[in-house]
Amino acid sequence: MLIADCGSTWTKILDTDTERLEIIQTREMVKRDDLFFEIATGHSGKNRCRLYRNELIALAEGSLSLVEEEDFSVVDVGGRDLKFIRFAGRKIQKLDWNLACGSSTGATIELLGNYYQADFDALAPSRKWINVTCGVFGMEKVLEHVSTGTDAGESLAMFIHGLVRNVFDFTGRPDRLFLSGGFCANNCFLQTLAKYCSVVALGRTVPLEGLRGKHHLEEADLTGGAP
Amino acid sequence: MVPAPENIIGYYGFPRREDIRLARERYGCHLPLVDLDVYQGAPDSGLLGTTTCRIISNIVDNAVFYSRRLSAVIADVGEGKCDRGRHIAYLLRGMGFQVIESRITEAEFENRPLVWSRSAGTLRERVNRIMDSVIDAAPPGDTPLPCAPTHGFWGVPPHDFRILDLFPPTTHIYGWTRCVEAGRPSDLELECSIDEGVPTVFFTQSFCAKQDLAHYLAEKFGGMEVDCHRDVNDSIGGKVEAFLKLS
Repeated sequence: MLIADCGSTWTKILDTDTERLEIIQTREMVKRDDLFFEIATGHSGKNRCRLYRNELIALAEGSLSLVEEEDFSVVDVGGRDLKFIRFAGRKIQKLDWNLACGSSTGATIELLGNYYQADFDALAPSRKWINVTCGVFGMEKVLEHVSTGTDAGESLAMFIHGLVRNVFDFTGRPDRLFLSGGFCANNCFLQTLAKYCSVVALGRTVPLEGLRGKHHLEEADLTGGAP
Repeated sequence: MVPAPENIIGYYGFPRREDIRLARERYGCHLPLVDLDVYQGAPDSGLLGTTTCRIISNIVDNAVFYSRRLSAVIADVGEGKCDRGRHIAYLLRGMGFQVIESRITEAEFENRPLVWSRSAGTLRERVNRIMDSVIDAAPPGDTPLPCAPTHGFWGVPPHDFRILDLFPPTTHIYGWTRCVEAGRPSDLELECSIDEGVPTVFFTQSFCAKQDLAHYLAEKFGGMEVDCHRDVNDSIGGKVEAFLKLS
């Protein structure tokens, strides 16, 4: 059975019979007429599946599959959005989804990384940060820093530091944060975030774990309680 | 011969009822009153920045769209609207429109019953019925019974009403829209009154100052903050859907 998380920039496809995971660019995925999924999440998957699952619900259910703790916070930093869920007693206490702005998302940093040919594994974290009010403003600040003599790598690390601060604030400044999405493979991001809180990287397949259906959230699984 | 299109009187926000009455007396009681906050099919005038609350842009776009048909604009420039409402009153006057500034003071607050905010029924229709009460304060003839809330919608009437269609009929209405029904448009206490335990979406237009309140209240009451600039897209729909489904 093929299940897929069709994100804005990357599509993760899992064959549950063989456990083979394929990660392809969504721009390539949409060209492939042969791809049809049993279950899918993510915008680009809507018309390519038998059963569509809401992204935030898939993330929540996947998190419950992978994390055994009673109380925890998980954030998915995706290509163009941020999704956050706080669990208390394994019930959802708070969820949020930052949709419209690329201020804290992967696509922006991918664009910059490609342009400056950055190796994010080798990039050292910066103590300084750029105020990433929005993705475009942040990019403009990087260009400004580079044009006025700051090393391109340092400018990018400052941008990443700005993203990290946004993510940390968006999630309510927890002591520990479970991270989902492509940034789990970005060493500079991980090291920078670790200066603010303890980080556990869950990888890129958390929503896929949710699609497997091990944990089905029922209605009223949101406590509605204040933190 | 094709008759000339009828003139109209435009208004925005929640002007004083007396100012509406006087404007109708002056410009014609037969003229339709048109809510300029609401998208009327007007093209973008391009007169305001792109990072302007869509409701404020609607007012200016509508005014330009109706142009000479607009006999007057009754502009809510009080605390019940916002600074931008006050600023565009100035701007519209500068463009040559007849602008009547209107401010409801606390002394003029009404205490109307919360009928539509607390009843069951299509959220879209109930919000519309509340907003109709700005120009027609007569009590509804078909008063619905109150219901227990399963969910809450807090905020102003959105630019794109399709977001309201996502909510179940047992959704109570809070925030500025409830204030309008009560006849107390700048009553901040009422605007921030929420029934605890009712999972509530705190909605604002993007770039609206009410985002501060929405953020604070969503944190305080464990609700979800949603902002939307122009049209509702799949992401916003998915966010609201997830919240409603899990609550």
